[in-house]
Amino acid sequence: MPDTPSERLGLRLVDGLELPSALRRVHRPDERVENEHGRARRLPRFFYEVPSWEAALGTALAPHFMLYELVSVDVREDPAARAWPRYVPCAVTLLAAHLEALRRALGATVFIAANGGYRSPAHALDREGEGFSPHHWGTAADLYRVGDDWLEDERTIREVRAVAEDVLPGVWLRPYGTGPGEADDHLHLDLGYALAVPHAAPDAR
Amino acid sequence: MLDATLQSLAEDAGLSALAVAYHDFERGGGWNLRGDHPFHAASTMKVGVLLALLAAVAEGRFRLGDRLHVRNRFLSAADGEPFRVEPERDAGDVVHSRRGRTMRLEALAEHMVQTSSNLATNLLLDLLGAEAVQATVERLGGAGIEVRRGVEDERAFEAGIVNTATASGLVRLFCAMEEGRELEPPLREKALAILKGQHFASGIPAGIPDDVREQAEFAHKTGSISTVQHDAGLVYLPGRRPYALAVLTEWPKEHTEGRRETVAACSRAVYQHLTSPDA
Repeated sequence: MPDTPSERLGLRLVDGLELPSALRRVHRPDERVENEHGRARRLPRFFYEVPSWEAALGTALAPHFMLYELVSVDVREDPAARAWPRYVPCAVTLLAAHLEALRRALGATVFIAANGGYRSPAHALDREGEGFSPHHWGTAADLYRVGDDWLEDERTIREVRAVAEDVLPGVWLRPYGTGPGEADDHLHLDLGYALAVPHAAPDAR
Repeated sequence: MLDATLQSLAEDAGLSALAVAYHDFERGGGWNLRGDHPFHAASTMKVGVLLALLAAVAEGRFRLGDRLHVRNRFLSAADGEPFRVEPERDAGDVVHSRRGRTMRLEALAEHMVQTSSNLATNLLLDLLGAEAVQATVERLGGAGIEVRRGVEDERAFEAGIVNTATASGLVRLFCAMEEGRELEPPLREKALAILKGQHFASGIPAGIPDDVREQAEFAHKTGSISTVQHDAGLVYLPGRRPYALAVLTEWPKEHTEGRRETVAACSRAVYQHLTSPDA
């Protein structure tokens, strides 16, 4: 019987500092980063290795959330981060648990947008953005649809947001709007810059 | 003779403006009527986007199998404010139905050209950048063609930022495609295959006699808005090398009848001119 998260998920636990240099360049494990306000954070160090798209399709992070939903990226992602195997921060399991709770409260399927789960700090959406994003921690999700409702208008986004606020008081939700830091065609939620360090992870240096 | 025929067609149809240009690879040389007159490009600008995409693929920046996030949110070229492509005004609903997910660049290019999907166009233009598209157009000789913004960018339209096309510029782009300029044979074939898959056949193809049309191929792109009706592309007739043709028409807004038929009639006139023994 598997008795570690890594074994249950069927994904190898990887110390990002041991990754080849091309992958360290895009994922920047354990690196201290700073945004335009001078706030510093440390990027994730421990990752799960996803060997293939088929593995991502077949790996359940929660009863209704498969790994592929949180690692779907497009051509704007750095080619090194799009190649297989891929690497996703271990905190993605925490995100999936939160999404599962939200799904239960909403009573409908929750759809995550492409580029809306984990993306590397080298993703083109972020290179000229705010410096860093919880998406780089694997702790953020962009919801574009709930059941048959597209999150493309203020009313629908506010309704889903209200449920999220109620059932997930600890998450951060991006306000509706078209200005900086706002969104008008999805609902962004995140757990902040949470790091997950599995029991089997090696000692911190 | 051709000049007089086209002028007569324009007058009879009540056109505000007509421009026609061709280049014949069979006999060599070309001709134009107001070939440098700028028109609102409408969807003919998508030819430039297609060529820029293939140029980026040739440079190794992208692969046609790469996937792009389908997101209906773009920033206006006028003021950076967001806008969307209204599904009700767009052709086809396949791309809209993929919102939130990804589509391959090749599939987006096909929808952009064949069903004239505005959403697919804006997604590709957003990825490539209008400056890169314009640079490709200019490198390939498309003087007079200006790609400055995405489709349905109303704020840009109101600010006078308009995509323009000329008949001669479009003909030069199609000549570049036929000659494979900057495109290795597989990419040239891809470009032509996408254009030959065009769903709208009421313009240039409709002007070719039925028995010939059945054996012909057309790699072309149509374009229409409230005041223009265009068609431009390559005509592959049986037993001869192709010709590139652009027919650009501008109409009074209230004059909505007979537009496609007029483009087809211009195509017929050029066909008769080029295939007559004493041309």
